[in-house]
Order: sequence, then structure tokens, then C-alpha cells
Amino acid sequence: MAQKVIVVATGSRIGRTSIVAVLTAAVFALDTVTDLEIATAVFYIVVILIAIGLFSRRGVVRLAIACIALTLCSAALTKSGSYEAGLINSGISIAAIAITTWLALRMIAAEAAAYEARAQLIRIARVNSLGELAASIAHEVNQPLSAITTSGDACLRWLAADPPNLERARLAAGRIVDDASRAGKVVARVREHMRGEAAERREMSLNDVVAESVALAQSEIDRGGVTVRLDLTELLPPIQGDPIQLQQVLGNLILNAIEAMADQPAPSRSLDLRTWADNGIVRLCLGDAGIGVSEDNLPFLFDAFWTTKKGGTGMGLAICRTIVEAHGGTIRAKLGSPVGLEIHLGLPAAARS
Amino acid sequence: MTEEIDPGELPPVVRIVDDDASVRAAIEDLLASVGLESRSFASTRAFLDGDAPEAPGCLVLDVRMPGQSGLDFQRQMASLRIGLPVIFITGHGDVPMSVRAMKEGAIEFLMKPFDDQALLDAIQSGIGRDRVRRAFEAEITTLRARYDELTPGERAVMDSVVKGLLNKQIAGLLDVSEITVKVRRRQVMLKMGATSLPQLVRIYDMVASSATDGQNPSGAEGR
Repeated sequence: MAQKVIVVATGSRIGRTSIVAVLTAAVFALDTVTDLEIATAVFYIVVILIAIGLFSRRGVVRLAIACIALTLCSAALTKSGSYEAGLINSGISIAAIAITTWLALRMIAAEAAAYEARAQLIRIARVNSLGELAASIAHEVNQPLSAITTSGDACLRWLAADPPNLERARLAAGRIVDDASRAGKVVARVREHMRGEAAERREMSLNDVVAESVALAQSEIDRGGVTVRLDLTELLPPIQGDPIQLQQVLGNLILNAIEAMADQPAPSRSLDLRTWADNGIVRLCLGDAGIGVSEDNLPFLFDAFWTTKKGGTGMGLAICRTIVEAHGGTIRAKLGSPVGLEIHLGLPAAARS
Repeated sequence: MTEEIDPGELPPVVRIVDDDASVRAAIEDLLASVGLESRSFASTRAFLDGDAPEAPGCLVLDVRMPGQSGLDFQRQMASLRIGLPVIFITGHGDVPMSVRAMKEGAIEFLMKPFDDQALLDAIQSGIGRDRVRRAFEAEITTLRARYDELTPGERAVMDSVVKGLLNKQIAGLLDVSEITVKVRRRQVMLKMGATSLPQLVRIYDMVASSATDGQNPSGAEGR
């Protein structure tokens, strides 16, 4: 049994913030104690670099200003050493802090833009591919379906005629059979197409897939005011498959969960992602506190063209299931307690060679 | 369901334009099962090339087709002088699409798969509408021919009479005697098959509305 590490986003943040505070204090103390000739204040850049991933832009700027103030403070408090060297060293330290901060801020901005762009791309790709796919499948299946309906009506009319025209009825029934097998072929082709996409097989950790997917959906998560809680088991056995496709599955599930919670009061909008392994199966449970679905509808959740969302295509979860099954895995849903929906995903662990 | 067909009138033919062969075959068969003749085409182009326009009927038109869409074709029909009533069938219609089609005069806008009775009802009403239209056009053609048979003098009198001018005024206008006007007026009534002045005015309006291409009755506007 692998040990569990609880990684709660807010908890770890508090921990790292205190590291920043302790480090700042340490640098300040060292800088004050050491001679003016020693530019200990340069180490404030470590504080800044740690703070990048933790604070907002404004926070980083404030911290930098505080570091500069502390540098000046230390210089004033330090008694030993040459005054001239102290001035130069303080100048160098302040310049280093300022330049580091400036570069850090640019990095934050660039990273944010890159994330935003990727998330946008995923959203567009999802909408486009699903929308187009659904439209073309709908058209291709609807044509034979329409012909079947009309032929069926004609067949009934030939039979209802007095005397019944059996020959024409037989011909109509023959057309129905042909059109039905044509519709079946369309569906088979779609399935083939989906299966064909799972070509890439790579060993990876489901935890990484989860982390990546959460990162990709971060802007949606923030926009939806959702708190994400990760409970990822360390040392999870690797799984084998296409990471992009599995990310697509996770992304879809996360976006669904966010949508399901859109009308809930903000404090209760939480999304729990839990991974663990048992008996050679790597498992993920994704639980939201959203509106869920009615118990009667649970069995249809993963069916194509079935949706409870206004304007939904009913393709998202169907594609998820196709991808998961192409990976030899299972996906099922159950009602969360007390509210929401839990999606359970199981993928076979990669065989150890 | 039986069709009352006037002797001498061609039986109605339903035209089907859909790019899907199965859909075409199914609709043809459905119409055959209620005794309706139909002819189907894979595209609007094939319809234009192969249709016999003299037969009355209506057009069952698919919206989404490779090449020209059904909606665009409907727009073009007026300029091609195709007066067949249109019934749209589509696999993926939306409200704006159907509104546009109905505004352009479509009989129905049916979503595939459609109810057979809905299609048959629409087709019957389309055929009925086409019959009325054709009868009206035939009447206008007859009246136009009669009008063309009038002598120039009679035509001039008719043009003035329908404007409400008195015989005396017409005589003055045309510089002929009042007796001549009366004689020509009687000839006009006779030749145009009118028994009263209001009826003659109505006939004149119909003739005028039919001739929008330069050969207007003198002094009459297109509408």
C-alpha cells in the first residue's frame, strides 16, 4: 500500500509563504550582522524567485520593495565595515533585486499568457471538434434515418391498401434494411476513427495527467470560483496510453464539473480529485458539488447525443468513454453524497518489465 | 385519397430534389403508395435540366445539398420563372432558416425524419396552390390574347374607358365622333368578355399586371 500525501492547495500555500517570511528574516539578520563589505542582501533574489509562483504580480512588487527597504535598513544598522563599500554593495543588491523582480514579473506575465492561450486553444478545439463531429455524424445518420422512416410509412401504406400490395411493401422493407445497415456503418466508422486515435502508447503517471489537466483548466477553475482539492497518491504505478487523449478526458470532466457548479453558492463549489491504486488498476475519482443528475439518468450519462445541458452536444462524455475504453479502462458515474456527481475512472497499470 | 382531375388537365407531378438517393427513393415510394406521380432529381441543376414545367405539382426541396442549397435555389426560382410551390425538408433546420424559407413563400418546412402525413398534406396544399396559380395564369394569357386582338382604335378607347373618362371626353381626346367611341366601346366589351365597366377595369388590371416587359397597354403602369 503506497503512502498517501494530502496536498491541499491552500495548505501548501501557507507553508511556502512562511518559508518566504523566514528566509527574508534570515537574510535580513545575516545582512545586518555581517560587515558592510559583504553583499548578503543579494540573497533577497532567492526570496523573490520563490515568491513568483506564490504571489500575484502586486504581491511580488510589494515584496521586492520590502526587500529593498530591508537592505537599506541593514546597511544603516550595520556598524562594522567601510561605509563606501557598503554603499556600493547596497546599490548592487538593490539593482539585483530590482532586475530579478522585473524579469520575474515578465516571466509571470508570459507564463500567464501562455496558459491562457493553451486553455483557449483547448476550449476552441473541444468546441470545434465536438460541434463539427456531432453535426457531421448527425447529418450522416439522419439521412438514412429519414429514409427509413419514410420507407416504413410507405410500407405500411402499401400493406394497408385494399388489396395489400405485398410486392411494393417488400421492396420498401428491403430499402429499410439497406438504410439501417448504412446508418450502422456510419456509427462503426466513427468508432473506428476514435479508436484509431489512441495510437500513441506511452508510460506515464495518472497524477501527472491530473496535474496537467488541472493546470490547463486553471483559468476556467478561477473563473468558476471553484476550489480544487487534490488528493494524489504518491508512487502510483504508471499507466500506458496517449497523454493528450487522457488529458482531454480529464479536461472534459473538469469543465463539466465547473459547469455543473456554476449555479451553486460560491463557498460550496469544490472539486475533489483523488487517485489511488488497487489490484493493478490505477483509479481516479473526480467528485464535484454540482447539480448532478437524477438517478434515472445515470445509465445514459455516457451515451452519445445524450445531454442535460442546454446547448450541449451530448458528445463530451461519450468521447471520454470511447477514449477510456480504448485504453482498456472503465469509466462510470455515481451520485455524490450529499450532492453532486462522482466520476470513477479505472485504468490498468502498465506491466512492469 | 383520390385526386379529382379535370379532364384535359395534366395529372400533378411532385418534383423531389435531394442529394440522397435513399431519401429520394423513399419519398417517391411514399407518394406512389397514395397514387401520386413524382419525379426526383439529385440536384437543383438536374432539376432545371430535366423537369417538364407544364405539369402542375410542387417541389419537395432539400435544404443542404452539395452545390446549390435549397434556400438559394428558392430565391432564384422567381427570376427563372418557376412558380412551383416549395416544401422544404431538412436534417438540421433552425428557426432563422425556416423563417427565411416561409417568408419566401414556402408551403412547409419539415425536419427530417418527418411525419408522412405532414408531408402529404403539404404536398396536397402545394398542388392545390399550383392549380390555382396555373388557372390564374391561363386566364391572364387568354385575356392578353384578346387584348392583343383589339384594333388600335378599340385599344385606345379601352385605355381611356378604364380611366373613368366619359364617352364625350374620349371622343375629344381621340378626335373621333362620340358615336364611334360608343361603337368601339361595345366592341371592346364584347371582345374582352366583359359585361360591366367594373369587370372591364378588373380585366384591364390583370392584362396590365401580366405585361411588365415593355408591351404594356398604352399608358398603363406595370402594377
